[in-house]
Amino acid sequence: MKRFPELKPNGWDMMVLAVVVVLGIVLSLGWMSAETDRLTAKISVDGVETEAVNLPQLRQEEERTIQANGYTLYLVLSQKGVQVRESDCPTQDCVHTGIITRAGQSIVCLPARVTVQLQGTVAEDGVDAVLG
Amino acid sequence: MRKITAVFLTVFMMGVLSACGSRAEEPASRQIYAMDTVMMVNAYGKSGEAAVEETEQTLYQLEALLSRTQEKSQVSALNRSAGEPVELDEELEQLIETAADYTHATGGAFDITIAPVADAWGFTTDHQRVPNQAELQALLERVGMEHVHLKNGTGMVDAGTEIDLGGIAKGYASDRVAQIYAANDVPRGMVYLGGNVLAWGDRPDGTPWRVGIQDPAAPENPEALVGVLQLRDAFAITSGGYQRFFEENGKRYHHILNPETGCPAESGLTSVTVVADKTDGNGTMCDALSTALFIMGEERALDYWRAHAGAFDLVLVTKDGRVVVTEGLAGRFTAAEGGAYSYETVS
Repeated sequence: MKRFPELKPNGWDMMVLAVVVVLGIVLSLGWMSAETDRLTAKISVDGVETEAVNLPQLRQEEERTIQANGYTLYLVLSQKGVQVRESDCPTQDCVHTGIITRAGQSIVCLPARVTVQLQGTVAEDGVDAVLG
Repeated sequence: MRKITAVFLTVFMMGVLSACGSRAEEPASRQIYAMDTVMMVNAYGKSGEAAVEETEQTLYQLEALLSRTQEKSQVSALNRSAGEPVELDEELEQLIETAADYTHATGGAFDITIAPVADAWGFTTDHQRVPNQAELQALLERVGMEHVHLKNGTGMVDAGTEIDLGGIAKGYASDRVAQIYAANDVPRGMVYLGGNVLAWGDRPDGTPWRVGIQDPAAPENPEALVGVLQLRDAFAITSGGYQRFFEENGKRYHHILNPETGCPAESGLTSVTVVADKTDGNGTMCDALSTALFIMGEERALDYWRAHAGAFDLVLVTKDGRVVVTEGLAGRFTAAEGGAYSYETVS
């Protein structure tokens, strides 16, 4: 009966293993970082995107003034999220929504037809939509 | 040499896998303002763009047909008919017949002729007020599907009667979107029609779509949920008294009116969520039932659910702090952690 040679790890095998482990860690971190960097606030007026802001890349809080359909909204954007600080719309739903922080969330001002959507990879335990 | 090749192949494969992982599949998406709300639709796959384009055009067409506020719509023409027949599109005629079926099935809790009463409360305008009893009584005499007459492609309403398909139109639209997605072989997508959700297929990672149910006690906090539904190929909609209301003399009046009294339904429920599979017609059903079952209250709603076993499932949130989930959602509903609600599953 033919005997197979006994397999013993040598220096090359250890090197391959080390390369695999190191690359695995590096690529995973890079992938996770890329996903986080994708949290983007997309601002739309009348359904048309007017600006996309990459939130994690903001160095400091920024403001935007959106004038649309006779109303003015003041937006505050930061690494943390987005909120409508002030609006002269009649319903004030956009202001009352408060700050949105996760991919999948949105602020809608129906009278002004302004929408701010946070887009990115929805966390495993996050939600894709909210009923209500 | 073989060792070097092994290292190279390992690195190459990891690079390929990493590239696959980081280049997530991007859906075609569209934001659409129609039916007095904002709609967000997305569709994955090769024909995603064609599907969302067709969806957008269909939603505008439906709005032009079904709107009560657009003067040129057939619904507006019908509301002006005052006893004189007007020609109706077959699609509109069928939807009115479907609405009549739900009126009958829910014992009158769902009624598209409540519109003039909603006008009196000002829920369709920015001038809300509490109408007096005599005014309500006079308006209620014109409420009821017996005041709507359909015949051979024509329709008319009795003088003083008006219909508003707002309680069923978005659900019907979600059925139409499902037809479009099926025809275009869309593998997955999320459709949000002003609160009506169609979870088509599953998430890109193969898990079910996660759809939260807003906590009625904290409607202004997008993070406040009573729980999360895991949905795949399903329609879902929530009706709640917290969605539109006004306060007068310290009392809150919400927009879901009981067709029997003409007043906001006081049923002990704060929200009703109806979930059903993607069978054609179920989007319409979920929309109609979410309103009707809210008006009917917990006991009658659960009786109705039991009488229609398997057709749909429910998540009821009660005023006394309970979340009642029907057994068909067991394993597909996750309660919110640390909330003030108690949860129960019913069969």
